[in-house]
Amino acid sequence: MLTTFLITVGAMAALGTALAVLMVIADLTVGNYGEVKITINDSKELVVPGGGPLLSTLMAEKLFIPSACGGRGSCGFCKVKITSDVGDYLATELPWITEEEKKENIRLSCQVKAKKDLSIWIPEELFNVKEYRTRVERIRDLTHDIKELTLKLIDPPEISFRPGQYIQFQTPEYELSSESVYRAYSCSSNPSQRDMVELEVRLVPNGICTTYVFQYMKEGDEVTINGPYGEFFLRDTQRDIVFIAGGSGMAPIKSILLNMVEKGIDRKATYFFGAVSRRDLFLVEEMRELEKKLPNFRYVPALSGPKPEDKWDGETGLITEVLDRHLSSGDNVEAYLCGSPGMIDASIKVLSSKGIPQELIYYDKFA
Amino acid sequence: MKQTVQMDRIQEKMAPGVITLEGFLGTDRRKLIDILLEDDEAVKRLNLSHSQLAQRMVELRDAGMRGLGEFIDVAPHFEVRVDSVRGKLPCPFGDPGIFPKTNVTVRNLRADREIVFTDLHIHMIGSHGFYEGKGSKFRLEPAELAAILEVEPE
Repeated sequence: MLTTFLITVGAMAALGTALAVLMVIADLTVGNYGEVKITINDSKELVVPGGGPLLSTLMAEKLFIPSACGGRGSCGFCKVKITSDVGDYLATELPWITEEEKKENIRLSCQVKAKKDLSIWIPEELFNVKEYRTRVERIRDLTHDIKELTLKLIDPPEISFRPGQYIQFQTPEYELSSESVYRAYSCSSNPSQRDMVELEVRLVPNGICTTYVFQYMKEGDEVTINGPYGEFFLRDTQRDIVFIAGGSGMAPIKSILLNMVEKGIDRKATYFFGAVSRRDLFLVEEMRELEKKLPNFRYVPALSGPKPEDKWDGETGLITEVLDRHLSSGDNVEAYLCGSPGMIDASIKVLSSKGIPQELIYYDKFA
Repeated sequence: MKQTVQMDRIQEKMAPGVITLEGFLGTDRRKLIDILLEDDEAVKRLNLSHSQLAQRMVELRDAGMRGLGEFIDVAPHFEVRVDSVRGKLPCPFGDPGIFPKTNVTVRNLRADREIVFTDLHIHMIGSHGFYEGKGSKFRLEPAELAAILEVEPE
């Protein structure tokens, strides 16, 4: 009886060992894809270790595709066009891909694995995206829930971005987050200050990144960013400009305005900025200074719920109502909007009602 | 009640790092079915239903949308802000569609209490009776939700 038991145990142990050895061999052979070639835009070739997710494989080669979730397939940002065969769509990709995008073979680069040679297409501007080590030079309270961060670049020491573009801020592992995550923030600084970037960060309830910024990050800390990204920038035309923003949507508009001052772009421009009460307004003095430097620029802050103690004698109402009162006609006007999806959707309706065509309404929606 | 294999798969999707960094279960080590059953009991004790709670969340979110990203007064004594951050999330139960990362902050000025929920919460509560696991940063306690949003039995 005991002998039978021992033989059985021994046989089971031997079988387990054999299976483990087989798995190791399989991992080294079947799971080893060797080197694969990734051809980008028919012009650039990378030879990389095969088998990994395309997103992280490209990132290892210092080619950054926008991604807010760190490759978990939960943000849908990291889309690339793949022009070679990589198999069917995965279930994890499908929620993010429209029928139109399917026809174009758009895939989530965090879900597709580089198991064989691939040919992909990405926007040319992503070649300009780099990763930067930075030092937090200053953290300034702009309001009770918005902070301005000044990040001094360490390596590389300079960045080139268009006013209106955004970067991705890497929140490191910290007490409340077991791994680093990326979040996107628009640059608020003048692009000509190439050795630094300024960001405006609004506190998000329970937000991993904003909690880090508000409660853990200190001046002098090192943080990593990558960028720049985005298609939100001032078009080179002679049309009048309407800017509309609320909250941290101030950031890209401020960057554009600073750049207008420096470049001497004195197009007629009106900036409608919405807030609830005076405590939610910020950079008012800076905007008034810009009015002096840009004679055709007018700043119109509006409060939707001013408190008696605010002693507010400026514009009141929702920003869309103020816009409606001020903008008589959309002739020869283009608009730039940054803020919450609700604000942008409502503003687009007003702008359209004034005759501004959709293609002249540019926006950076926090969505 | 025994948890089905399908529910095991859903619970796997709720683990940290699958859909969200923190996952949906917090420090809760129970089976998903037990989490759902306990919250279902809690809602029944309030003489409410999950759909009633979800419906109230929708009402307040829709009213708050008028604030265009800022707090707005909502009768009789609420302040509501509907704000968004970049990104969207799929439902861990595998339902079609993706949900914008919308944060709805409701302040009940009479009770001096505040609660924050998302579009995905509304969906998970209304369609699945799921309020997230104990210890999850984003868990909504049914009794607290009902009290702050002032959801009364019909």
